Amino acid sequence: MSPSEIKLPDYRSLAPAVAARFERIRERPVILSVRDLKKSFGANGSTHVVFDHLSLEIHRREFICAVGPSGCGKSTLARIVAGLDEASGGEILLNGESVAGPGPDRGMVFQGYTLFPWLTVKRNVMFGLQMSGKAPSTADTEARQWLDMVGLSKFEESYPHELSGGMKQRVAIARALANNPRILIMDEPFGALDAQTRAQMQNYLLQIWKKVDVTILFITHDLDEAAFLSDRIIVMGVNPGGIREVIENPVPRPRSPAQFISPEFLALKKRLEHHIHPPVEGEPAEKLPMIKLTDAGDEVE
Amino acid sequence: MANHDWLGLKQELPRRRRLLLTAASFLAPLLVWCVLSYVPWVWHPLMHITDAGSVDYFSTGLDVPRATFFQEVAKAQAAGLDVPQGDRVNPPYLPAPHEVVRAFYTAFKTPPRLQDEPWLHQSLGHSIRTIFLGFFFSSLIGLPLGILSGTYRFFAKLQEPFIEFFRYLPAPAFGALCVAILGIEDAPKIAIIVIGTFFQQVLVIANSVRKVDPALIEAAQTLGASKWKLVSRVVIPASITDVYTDMRILLGWAWTYLIVAEVVGTMSGITLFINQQARYRNFDNVYAAIAMIGIIGLTTDIFLAWLGTVLFPWKKKNRKPRTHTLFPLFDPIPLNPPKRKEVQLEAHVAQ
Repeated sequence: MSPSEIKLPDYRSLAPAVAARFERIRERPVILSVRDLKKSFGANGSTHVVFDHLSLEIHRREFICAVGPSGCGKSTLARIVAGLDEASGGEILLNGESVAGPGPDRGMVFQGYTLFPWLTVKRNVMFGLQMSGKAPSTADTEARQWLDMVGLSKFEESYPHELSGGMKQRVAIARALANNPRILIMDEPFGALDAQTRAQMQNYLLQIWKKVDVTILFITHDLDEAAFLSDRIIVMGVNPGGIREVIENPVPRPRSPAQFISPEFLALKKRLEHHIHPPVEGEPAEKLPMIKLTDAGDEVE
Repeated sequence: MANHDWLGLKQELPRRRRLLLTAASFLAPLLVWCVLSYVPWVWHPLMHITDAGSVDYFSTGLDVPRATFFQEVAKAQAAGLDVPQGDRVNPPYLPAPHEVVRAFYTAFKTPPRLQDEPWLHQSLGHSIRTIFLGFFFSSLIGLPLGILSGTYRFFAKLQEPFIEFFRYLPAPAFGALCVAILGIEDAPKIAIIVIGTFFQQVLVIANSVRKVDPALIEAAQTLGASKWKLVSRVVIPASITDVYTDMRILLGWAWTYLIVAEVVGTMSGITLFINQQARYRNFDNVYAAIAMIGIIGLTTDIFLAWLGTVLFPWKKKNRKPRTHTLFPLFDPIPLNPPKRKEVQLEAHVAQ
């Protein structure tokens, strides 16, 4: 039986505990507020609008995932919030104040590895602290604490090229968090990792998030990842671009991989699938116009 | 096994083979030279006369073309006169390897013929000083300009079009001008090296700086770095290894301008030595002096490459402990070091 055949609950029906949790989240102050954001490319005449009138509010310590098909502008949204790209209209408010340009109050973890190769792991984590003018000894102590938290104390004197992909991203998370940002923007941070490491990293991230007062905006194209990590999921679309739906994740916390087959998880996943890969009428699966290139007698399916 | 393939595409050769091939790259041309010098029936276009016989214009010690020699031999035999004797030899401008090797030693020991002529070591010292000063002055301005140009579009557009034009002007063309302005001593020679190096330097360094991964700059920006700190703490360290390599290549470039530069004004340094020795027909010394330039250049480069691994430890390959970093040229660092076993490290952390 495939998930579509199982009778699933409504993805919008929240268990009392989950509903109460969202109630508490809503009571918290708004950290990030995106108002009427517009992004378009190209000049006069041939402009391509990625999204328009995009509004969003993220509460303190909320974990928001943004999903969407490629080209929906989810990475662009992250980069505009981080101040790396300029919006064509609208504004970003952080703690109620308008922000423009990159700053240490919005930490970022990129998909590619962006650790500074010429600095040791510890000095990478110290970088932001030193930029904000902390004394070297203070920065040193704090960097060690952060590395301790991501479980990489043993590698503080290693250079980034000596680490695996997953470890690099953990250092990148520590480096971003060391600055004590109000929001941590993660643009497909685990996209380049293999499936096993990715699952491990998702676990690490949840553990870190529990211990730190930080709000997370997490961009991903992996629906399982979004369902596993998030409080709310922003589903974005293309043509027209923008937010299609904001879903409150019905899967209760604490999360564990065992929940991947829970009814709430499957219901949520089905809804996400519906948005990202809408079923096309009359065409179950595209057949390739392939002639058979092998002899009979060794059927593979 | 793939390892047994000598011609594997993009495949790292085992260390022993690398050393073997390095040795072969020097030995092959040496072998050609030895064959030309020591195998009497290969080339040897002249006859060195040991006994003039009946030929009146031959004399002992004279080198004559082989064809002429055998004509005379035939004539003498036909006339029943004394036949001249001789050995096949190479022309004086191709001394044998052992003669050049000996010259390496003797060139330093031989006092100059004239009082005011420099010894070989003085000539070399003079040349090295000219190179060093030329390269220093060029870098003094070229390095900052290159970094500025590579970092900011503003400076790139402001200076690069002119530099692109100027670098096509051959440095020796400025020889007469340099002499007119700077006199005939060392100043115009240094100026030629600066002119030959500087313009390439700015462009090459700007290019290396421009290649810095923009993601690193963005990451630094989200960590609170801005303006000058972005340059000093990110752009420069991110490009420093490439710039260092550029500088090594440019230093080699400066050496090629040396000979031209030393002809400007009063001839000096190693060029003067080479010219004098050629005039005295001490071709073994000439070859030794030319080889000396190569040896000095190569030694400097090997030293600088080794210094690079000390200065930039993050570029060091981590597979082996450093046992032979002294000769990075002979054991070059692979451009794409093979990925470490990630599993092991992860397991290490999990404990």
